[in-house]
Amino acid sequence: MTAAAVRRRRNLLAGYGLLVPITVLLGTLFLVPLGIMVVYSFLEPGVYGGVSWSFYPYNYGRILGWPIGGGEEFDPVYLSIFFHSVLLALLTVALSLLICYPAAFWVSRMTGLRKNLILFLVTLPFFANLLIRIYAWLLILRPTGFFNVALQTAGLIVEPLQVIFTGTAVLIGLVYVLVPFMFLPLYASVERLDPILIQASQDLGATPLQTFRRVVLPLTLPGIVAGSIIVFIPALGNFIVPALLGGAKVMMSGNLIEQQFLKARNWPFGAAIAMLVMASVLLLVVVYVKKVARRDEQTGGVGA
Amino acid sequence: MSGGSESTEDVLTVSGAVRQFQTPEGTWLRALDGIDLAIRNNEFLTLLGPSGCGKTTLLRVIAGLDDLDSGTLTLEGRPLDDVPAHRRPFNTVFQSYALFPHLSVEDNVGYGLDVAGIRPSERRRRVADGLSMVGLGDLGRRMPQQLSGGQQQRVALVRALVNNPKLLLLDEPLSALDRKLRGQMQIELKALQHKVGITFIFVTHDQEEALTMSDRIAVMNKGRIQQLATPFETYHHPANRFVAGFVGNSNLLGGRVVAADRGDLKIETEGGLTLIAGGAGFAVGDAVDVLLRPEFLSLAPVVVGDVAPTLEAQVEQAVFVGSEIHIHARTDRGLALMVLDRTAAGRGDGTADVGRVVRFHYDPSHVHVMRTGGTP
Repeated sequence: MTAAAVRRRRNLLAGYGLLVPITVLLGTLFLVPLGIMVVYSFLEPGVYGGVSWSFYPYNYGRILGWPIGGGEEFDPVYLSIFFHSVLLALLTVALSLLICYPAAFWVSRMTGLRKNLILFLVTLPFFANLLIRIYAWLLILRPTGFFNVALQTAGLIVEPLQVIFTGTAVLIGLVYVLVPFMFLPLYASVERLDPILIQASQDLGATPLQTFRRVVLPLTLPGIVAGSIIVFIPALGNFIVPALLGGAKVMMSGNLIEQQFLKARNWPFGAAIAMLVMASVLLLVVVYVKKVARRDEQTGGVGA
Repeated sequence: MSGGSESTEDVLTVSGAVRQFQTPEGTWLRALDGIDLAIRNNEFLTLLGPSGCGKTTLLRVIAGLDDLDSGTLTLEGRPLDDVPAHRRPFNTVFQSYALFPHLSVEDNVGYGLDVAGIRPSERRRRVADGLSMVGLGDLGRRMPQQLSGGQQQRVALVRALVNNPKLLLLDEPLSALDRKLRGQMQIELKALQHKVGITFIFVTHDQEEALTMSDRIAVMNKGRIQQLATPFETYHHPANRFVAGFVGNSNLLGGRVVAADRGDLKIETEGGLTLIAGGAGFAVGDAVDVLLRPEFLSLAPVVVGDVAPTLEAQVEQAVFVGSEIHIHARTDRGLALMVLDRTAAGRGDGTADVGRVVRFHYDPSHVHVMRTGGTP
């Protein structure tokens, strides 16, 4: 072996060596619990919590309608909660995108100090506890809260609006919590967009709308994709926001899972719901990314 | 200068153009300080000047990418000021090329035709024609970042040209290329302009580039046009000290007319030289700037009529570059002179050796006299 080959081999080994800590960490702390949940979802729930060790696929039957057995019955409410959660998560993504996309352009045009200040303000909420922040929204949205009082004082409404403990309140809460996760990747891709390209497009005769569709949108698409995914996933699995702002009326799949694990003490059923939610999220994300990647391939895969 | 005047062959006229910018320190800077310019049909016009002289601002104003604070633009007699960039029949080749990184070479070139709604079949034909015109016929499917700098430059050029603009605006398009490629592109660009018959407005800070390519050169400084003339005029008859110093190498001396007799002038310059020159319209006592190009000073005697004017100076440095000798000399009163001599280069007899005091000869008709502070 030549000296260069030895050196290359040593570099390669060093590379793998550096990967060991993170592999061990993720393997033990992520894959092992996940494996436990997969196994549990196929076990029979014990009478007083816990499990009895026999193969029991009927947890899934209770949600999906097949296979049925072992005293479990199909209840469509679980699917309806799931689809409702997906809808809320998609609305959260759409609203955050609507808020953050123009804001990203606005901030990227700013200079030095102001820009850094805004970026700091975006991350500021992370310094306060999530529960407290959500609880603040409870105070804002309740019938005697700031929101209603302000509208009443302005003479826009007579009776207080019932916002708290509705889907709207949950949506507001989710958007509030997740907006920074949409903003940061969007901002990064907008910041990378060279303004000279927009000018070149104008110069070549494209109207503002054509410029947006043909230059701005494709070049900021990676940021939109990244932001959408990292907002959609926690939105779908969130249980604190619906628990506090949704009251008894709004239940998302996160609450359902929490309920099964902590209140009903039916771990196998909770695990089955969690597995189905995870599988569908994975499927959705893979389809989405594939679709964008194909588009990206056609357009050269810039900025991805 | 024909500023503001309308003539049938003018494509675009700029009159009284003023554009101010606020500097980071809060003061206002006039990037354009009253520009009057008439651009003729089919000409290759160069805006030449040092960085910050306003040449790029003027180009951007013409393209519609920047607005004027006051003044007007007129395209073939119609006002252009309220026409947005995307409706102006001009296209720009940007300094950084500004190729769309997410589009292939073909799609970049076809972009303008596409947004204009040209039929796909015709678009394909025009894109293919354009690309083969600059020798990139088989690279259409590549992405811009897979091309070399020179190739990207050509794509940017074709992307602008396929739209058949009334004006092609070029913002220092050659500055990112290496020296050899730049020289080659200068000649190609000039040939291309001749072939397509489109008016080119070319921005550069490189005086050699300007002299090589232009039909006319507008030399700019501090937001004003200092001179608008052919390359020959600009080089040999600069309007003022700035133009003389910016274009070409020069010996520039301030001085005063001490004798004037029917176009024959005698000028006493700073550093105590007495020069004989030709020049009409000057009177005794006028403050003038005198330009003596280095190539018009020679070691061999120049006899004009019965006079043989000379300047005496000591050689400080002599660089032999084959066809000529570059000499830096200094007069006994400390005035530096640059001389580009071809007569001694072939002799090799040590006439121009360092330390020797020699007489440099000149022809008075080659001495260019400008009024001090003169503007066009």
